[in-house]
Amino acid sequence: MSPADENSPDTGGDDILAAEYVVGVLPAEERREVAARIERDQAFARLVDRWEVHLSPMAAAYPEIAVPPAVKAAIDRRLFAKAAPTPARASLWSSLAFWRGLAAAAAVLAVAITVAYFVAPPSDQSPQRYVASLAPQQSDVHYFVVYDARTQDVGLSHVTGARPEGRDFELWVIEQGKEPVSLGVIPVGASVHLAVAQAIRDRIAAGAMFAISLEPPGGSPTGQPTGPVVASGDLHDV
Amino acid sequence: MTAQDITKLIVRTSMGDRGAFDLLYRQTSAKLFGVCLRILGDRAEAEEALQEVFVKIWTKADRFAVSDLSPISWLAAIARNHAIDRIRARRRPTVDIDAALDIADPTPGPEAAAVASGESERIHVCLDELDKDRAAAVRGAYLKGESYAELAERHGVPLNTMRTWLRRSLMKLRECLER
Repeated sequence: MSPADENSPDTGGDDILAAEYVVGVLPAEERREVAARIERDQAFARLVDRWEVHLSPMAAAYPEIAVPPAVKAAIDRRLFAKAAPTPARASLWSSLAFWRGLAAAAAVLAVAITVAYFVAPPSDQSPQRYVASLAPQQSDVHYFVVYDARTQDVGLSHVTGARPEGRDFELWVIEQGKEPVSLGVIPVGASVHLAVAQAIRDRIAAGAMFAISLEPPGGSPTGQPTGPVVASGDLHDV
Repeated sequence: MTAQDITKLIVRTSMGDRGAFDLLYRQTSAKLFGVCLRILGDRAEAEEALQEVFVKIWTKADRFAVSDLSPISWLAAIARNHAIDRIRARRRPTVDIDAALDIADPTPGPEAAAVASGESERIHVCLDELDKDRAAAVRGAYLKGESYAELAERHGVPLNTMRTWLRRSLMKLRECLER
């Protein structure tokens, strides 16, 4: 396969390249190139994820085959042995193509998955948790939010969308028919937390909505959103 | 186990819950081993690959949130992609994959399993719209991890012809999937 072939107009473009990657037919070198692209190119990563979804029913044909017990023991040794990691792990990490793809594929997320994403550990089942996927509103800003009523903590996971230079994201809770109440400016970071004041606690319940607006540095000067809403979503209990 | 249950196990695994990881392993390792063995065609290598797959699952379980895949499909995709990366890194297949699988796999072949699953998924409907041999090429490549080079050899056509052929099939599939 010469480079000229790969770039000819008859190749079907990125979407077909994504499909070739998912089907698995590409040679090693091209697979590596595509994997690297998945990592840096979010739009392309979404194409790959979509093909994975399309083709995944074919995987029903794989049989279940019992695994020798030694395999799990070996996994546990690799992961949980106190010994320092061996150099062999380096080569393992170098082939994380698919993971990188998923990392970049921050597309729309099924609510069911979002809800389950923040479930409590088994010993910690509680109806006092709510989650929301704050989907982009004419922006590319996307956050996941989990609210724990017992600890009065809002956790935010940043999925996509940079804040513009010199502006802040502010988080609001909106009960139906009422004015938005600020939960504060969202700190910069991939995974951040906001403490919820006692007075606001009761306003956060299933059916309420979280929204993120674009505000001057430090947050809205008026106590109400002044900038455009860049992301929003409904709260669901877990 | 429902999809929701497996989702919870993945999520708890992402939080470092070893109990959840163990249960996830018990529930899904046979399937993922089936994936690795089918592609790699060698038990020892498939066992090695499965170890690596579960190390990835433990380490990167949080990435599940950004995929649209169902939980078991997401896990299977990790296993598939890892096994394919492994087999591509090999110089040549060391054994006849189908022969190895005939020994290891008493379950129906892919076609039969596809029929058994009800053919309800769109992809099966769309594959049926392709010429039989082309649909077989797509299925074979997907399930066994065959490369363009291997497909070309089996079908007795030049590699570039094979690639053009498969790309056209994929374009037709896309047209059908999005119809």
